[in-house]
Amino acid sequence: MKQEQFVERHAGEWQAFEHYLEVLRKGRKATAGERDAVFAAAEFPARYRRLCQQLALARLRGYSPALAQRLQDAVHEGHDRLYRVRRIEWRQALAWLAGGFPLLVRTHARFMISSAILLFAPMVTMIVALDANPALAYSVYEPSDIATYEEMYDPARHDAGEGRDAQSDLAMFGFYILNNVSIGFRTFASGLLAGIGTILVLLLNGVMIGTVAGHLTATGSGVPFWTFVAGHSAPELLAIVIAGGAGLQLGYAMLAPGRVPRIVALRRAGRDGAMLAMGVAAMLVFAAFVEAYWSSIFWLPPAVKYSVGVALWVLMLTWLLAGGRERAA
Amino acid sequence: MIDTLHDVETPEGVSLQLRAAGPVVRALAWAIDAGIRLGAVWFGATLLALLGTAGQGLIFIGMFAVYWLYPIAFEALADGRTIGKRVVGLKVVHASGAPVGWMPAIIRNLLRVVDMFPMLYGFGLASMLLDDRFRRLGDIVAGTLVIHDRPPRLRGGEIHAAPLAPPVLMQPEEQAALQAFAERSRWLTEDRQAELADLLDGLTHARGPAGVEQLHRHASWIMGRR
Repeated sequence: MKQEQFVERHAGEWQAFEHYLEVLRKGRKATAGERDAVFAAAEFPARYRRLCQQLALARLRGYSPALAQRLQDAVHEGHDRLYRVRRIEWRQALAWLAGGFPLLVRTHARFMISSAILLFAPMVTMIVALDANPALAYSVYEPSDIATYEEMYDPARHDAGEGRDAQSDLAMFGFYILNNVSIGFRTFASGLLAGIGTILVLLLNGVMIGTVAGHLTATGSGVPFWTFVAGHSAPELLAIVIAGGAGLQLGYAMLAPGRVPRIVALRRAGRDGAMLAMGVAAMLVFAAFVEAYWSSIFWLPPAVKYSVGVALWVLMLTWLLAGGRERAA
Repeated sequence: MIDTLHDVETPEGVSLQLRAAGPVVRALAWAIDAGIRLGAVWFGATLLALLGTAGQGLIFIGMFAVYWLYPIAFEALADGRTIGKRVVGLKVVHASGAPVGWMPAIIRNLLRVVDMFPMLYGFGLASMLLDDRFRRLGDIVAGTLVIHDRPPRLRGGEIHAAPLAPPVLMQPEEQAALQAFAERSRWLTEDRQAELADLLDGLTHARGPAGVEQLHRHASWIMGRR
């Protein structure tokens, strides 16, 4: 069949299809008249398939490139309309956070454990070392930074009852979200470089947190410091461990893909890691909330703050170790 | 691959041709986005500074959203186009040609951290130059592709010549070339048309405008006018 006859035969169909696409593009701005003038949505898949067939014929028979281009544009847009992105179901997302996320964490248990070691070993080491030699802190931090920390956790201020006001709480909430979630994402993402970035971030964080903790404890600011961090320590430290584990499994997929092609292993690891990163973000937002609104409450006795801290640790660990079990079975 | 066209087969069996976008135009889109984001943060900060310290918290949250959520949300919800990409005419799609979903958008934007390393997209640029589809590391891991949204439209003019059968049997590619010449003649100068037609003076046995006219008549016949 020659091009003229082909165009004559099918021009009506093509125009109808293009009108339909135009109405879709206009969305709410399309008038009722325009919407009535096009075919029903139920006909769309069949018409799209016909159009695909006609495009294939046009290409096969060597019709003019302009005609093929017109059909290809319509097919491309029809393809995008037909294979749309699924909307996020918020209930599903929350259910995943409760069950699927801990399951995913446990799937990568060996990376999580490695990450925990990389974080806590230097931390504990520094705390112990600084107990023996508080001046070691100056090897890690600038003297001005240490002075800032000492001032923040000054026992005299603590006893006098200086805390934060509600406005600064919100300011700190925002700051913690910006700062900590960014760190969590970077910890995961830098795992792509064979895990080196993640390892460095974990070690560095361990050393720095341990130094601050150790120095303040050794120089008498222990109570203000530990009552402050007790509350949010569970979600925040666990989130960093999980972000580290996500980064490590990504780096491992890069280095040792196993029996699948490297790109396939990388894609799976990227997917798992991104899902873990979403859970990490949720945990860190929660930690930011606790840190901003609870941790700086100074007028409660230390015993209360410590028990809340312990309770959160138990809660978080239970969630991570037991969540989603009914699915695994 | 000499050109940047990438063929993907849809589930219906036709090939969609996707034109991969190179680093320069992607950098331009990124620069526009960066400008918009900085502008938004500056504008928001000025407004929220009026609310005092509490406003500061909202500014921080806004900065977080603008830095991390802006690209993800736009790519997943707005057909794979951030504002910068929309201005330049680019689009993020799945490697299969399908619209990009939430997970790939999240993956490619989180891994932007690695692409920006060591200095202003060093790794990302290297990856784009080495890959045949101009993918940066985030694209490779997420399985996405950045394409030109509207490839240059082949303009088709009307052909008004009386049909005349060509003296020899022509291959499909040759027929397509004649058709393309005839359709695009409208946008070519007469000298240029004559120059091109002269290449086929063995076929038409004519030169100059006469040759052009004859080629148009052959094209008309090929398209099926009788």
